Amino acid sequence: MEIFRASNVTKRFGALVAVNNVSYSLHEHEVAGIIGSNGAGKTTFFNLLTGMFPPDEGTIHYRDVEITHETPQQRVTRGVMRTFQLTSTFDNLTVIDNLVLAYFRAHRKASLLQLFLNTCKQHRNNEKITAILETFDLKDLRDREVRNLSLGEKRRLEIAMTMLAEPKVLLLDEPLAGLAESEIQAVLEILRRQMGRQTILIVEHKISHVKDFLQRITVMHEGSIIAEGGYDECMSHPEVRRSYWQIDIDAETSAEAGS
Amino acid sequence: MRKAFDWWWGIALAFSLLAAMRAFLPLPFVNEILIFSIYAIGCSFLLGRVGFISFGQPAYLAIGAYGTAFYLFYFGTNPYIGILAGLASGFIAALIVGPLFVRLRSDYFALVNLALAVIVFFLMQKVLAPITKGDNGLWFLTNMTSTPVLDITRPSQFFVFAFIVGLAIWAFYKYLDDTLFGACCLATKINEDKLQFLGYSNFSIRLAAFVIANTTTALAGSLYAVYIGAVSPEITSPARAADPVVVILLGGAGTLYGPIVGSIAYTGMKDVISKLIGNWEMIIGPLLVIIMLAGEKGIWGTLEPWLKTLLFRNKSVVPQKNSSIEGN
Repeated sequence: MEIFRASNVTKRFGALVAVNNVSYSLHEHEVAGIIGSNGAGKTTFFNLLTGMFPPDEGTIHYRDVEITHETPQQRVTRGVMRTFQLTSTFDNLTVIDNLVLAYFRAHRKASLLQLFLNTCKQHRNNEKITAILETFDLKDLRDREVRNLSLGEKRRLEIAMTMLAEPKVLLLDEPLAGLAESEIQAVLEILRRQMGRQTILIVEHKISHVKDFLQRITVMHEGSIIAEGGYDECMSHPEVRRSYWQIDIDAETSAEAGS
Repeated sequence: MRKAFDWWWGIALAFSLLAAMRAFLPLPFVNEILIFSIYAIGCSFLLGRVGFISFGQPAYLAIGAYGTAFYLFYFGTNPYIGILAGLASGFIAALIVGPLFVRLRSDYFALVNLALAVIVFFLMQKVLAPITKGDNGLWFLTNMTSTPVLDITRPSQFFVFAFIVGLAIWAFYKYLDDTLFGACCLATKINEDKLQFLGYSNFSIRLAAFVIANTTTALAGSLYAVYIGAVSPEITSPARAADPVVVILLGGAGTLYGPIVGSIAYTGMKDVISKLIGNWEMIIGPLLVIIMLAGEKGIWGTLEPWLKTLLFRNKSVVPQKNSSIEGN
């Protein structure tokens, strides 16, 4: 079942066409990826899906409801959550309070009155929060201020915050960026556990790390989709080889003909 | 019991100090400190919690003071109702300008608030002069009637009232620090995008913080009006716009008790130095620069760890969550 659909979406920044007439669908419980070189328009497209800014043209539907001009908060209410390319947490709060904020909004109405009537302390020993601390191996860092964590720990916390909200669609913007190999494996293990439970869309440069569990890959170049399908199918696509791997297909062909 | 003490020790210490000062120092001086610290706490909350620096606090102070003054000069004689009128004026004014101002970035926020202070100054001095009596101000000291139980028209009983109000305000801000709203304020200060993508409204959180902070400032204006028994446009002079900012930087920006400590230090320095030389600003200015260069955390921010160690001895019982708004 189609859960997310972008139809003929275009986004311009002045003369630059960052996303050019892109149509894309995401299906329920699918784990899909978008790859492309720098400036391909991946993150801009991602931002359009999450409501960071609206498209200049085209529409975005979530479960057949048009959400093109909905705010991020409205999309969160529908169950769409995202992480950021640069790790995004609240560095001036403790790990546990970051999780409390994520949990409270997802499971309570979080009106201003509720925010006034509830203290962080009341929710710090919540079962779900305790469980997620265990899952993400953050238990020992519980009371530490986030500014004192390593990049890998912050990345785990960011994904933990998103998971805690139990979103229906999880959009991950370069979740492996800047991580050491051991940290990459830890994050991948967490993502593997979510397969079949959530719809996940990953924008990632390190394609070799995620290729095994991506069910579908979409390759973007200069704001447009140039290939879509399985990993091998995409990687052997001439346009992808030219733009993504920067392989000179014509020279290769001539060399093959010459030999 | 121990936990309750941990939670309240800062407030207890700060107000014990104020109570002790009452025994040794002149009443006007202590009353001025109380009013000034209530004036500064709103500004401190905006800066420390939400990341908004405001040079427009005199505007909200004046709105509270004139709200009280109009009531006591034109309509009634009960100073308590006058204070409520000032409080309501500040709340309504913040609710009107807040939706416009909180959308701005911190630097523009500072300037637009300063502009508001200038506007209020000229409104009170010129445009509304037939009502405000211009530079002469409104004098209503003799209009106020004595009130039962606590007669706040008398300076000594005003001190008790201001002390109770101050204690209540600090308890309220301490509670706010611990609420999810307080955490959201810190979150919007450092990462508004993330907060938005968790589903919170940055606008609502900032607006609520703005209204709370400036209603507190208006309350300080009301207390000032009742204490002095008069209000003039001088209260909203743009020349005094930096006063609360200086006080909280001096006391410790973003700390809960910084405004009290800063008020004591600033009012004290002003009082002592102005007795020695006429142009006291010439001494205060460089002194402030030296104090701030010596420690960016301000007086309270520097002293707090020492005091905790001294009071609790065993470091393990030192509260994890210090009283610093920043450090929540």
